[in-house]
Amino acid sequence: MLTREQSLALVLRRLAALGRELGKPTLEKADEQTRLFGEAAALDSIGLVTLIADLEEDIRVATGKTVTLADEKAMSRLTSPFRRVDLLAEYVVEVTRN
Amino acid sequence: MPTALITGSSQGLGLALAERLLVDGWIVHGFARGAQTLAHERFTAHAVDVTDEAAVRAAVATIAESGRIDLLVNNAGAASMNALLLTPGETADRLMRVNYLGTFHCLQAVGKVMVRQRAGRIVNVTTVAVPLSLEGEAAYVASKAAVEALTKVAAKELASSGVIVSAVGFGPIDTALTRGVPKAALAKINDAIGRPQGTTMNQAVDFIFARIVAPDLKSGSVEYYGAV
Repeated sequence: MLTREQSLALVLRRLAALGRELGKPTLEKADEQTRLFGEAAALDSIGLVTLIADLEEDIRVATGKTVTLADEKAMSRLTSPFRRVDLLAEYVVEVTRN
Repeated sequence: MPTALITGSSQGLGLALAERLLVDGWIVHGFARGAQTLAHERFTAHAVDVTDEAAVRAAVATIAESGRIDLLVNNAGAASMNALLLTPGETADRLMRVNYLGTFHCLQAVGKVMVRQRAGRIVNVTTVAVPLSLEGEAAYVASKAAVEALTKVAAKELASSGVIVSAVGFGPIDTALTRGVPKAALAKINDAIGRPQGTTMNQAVDFIFARIVAPDLKSGSVEYYGAV
């Protein structure tokens, strides 16, 4: 499993890479409170999908586990784990613990 | 060497396309429920039922671990001819699961790999029976219409990631399966698409292959072999 710090580092590193690729420098300065979708969010819907797909691969490389982040369990939560960077990092910890 | 994944590769169009890609230098992975006879150093057979989401994901993850996936051909399918009012519900359910859901599972699993690569091409196999609204094939036509709709939406969603999604459709291809269909029924369809002589396997493979390698293939396109 990944610790919260490791998960957070994965998410921020991937966001920064995405920022360079998409020409969005704000993503390179993302922090725990950065909103990932919704109003004033850092990503559009396609950007969020790309982030999730990339993160699943990062998790596989880091842990050897093939995980699906966007499953029914995640989508049916009252507080979406994809809303903010800190929530996503905590969700990655949860998914890799199982 | 580019890598392709073809579903329904144990026979018919899937097998013929796999052979063509191997001749052209591709690495080919094939999904089929049963045994696969194709033997080639660049071919890997996977015993996968495309309706089994977990099995599809696991097999795609295994392929992706060894490298890229440049091409997915969603060819696995099932057909049934029957009057609408006589078609058992379980037949309609099976066709939707194999033709639509099977395509959905493979497209989703491979689509993620291609989004990570920021490149890839997905070709879904459909049928001229959709634009012809062919009588006697309601359940089949509905399942393939779903595949065409999925193709168009997927093309939009994946375009910004460099993934091209398209569909190709055929009339009856000359195989052992269609040789069992009454000649009059085949002639009616072939006449309707301006191909009274029918469609050979080589013609079908050529048609798909041209789109696989076409540099300007339009994402979201649905093209039929014949005058539809």
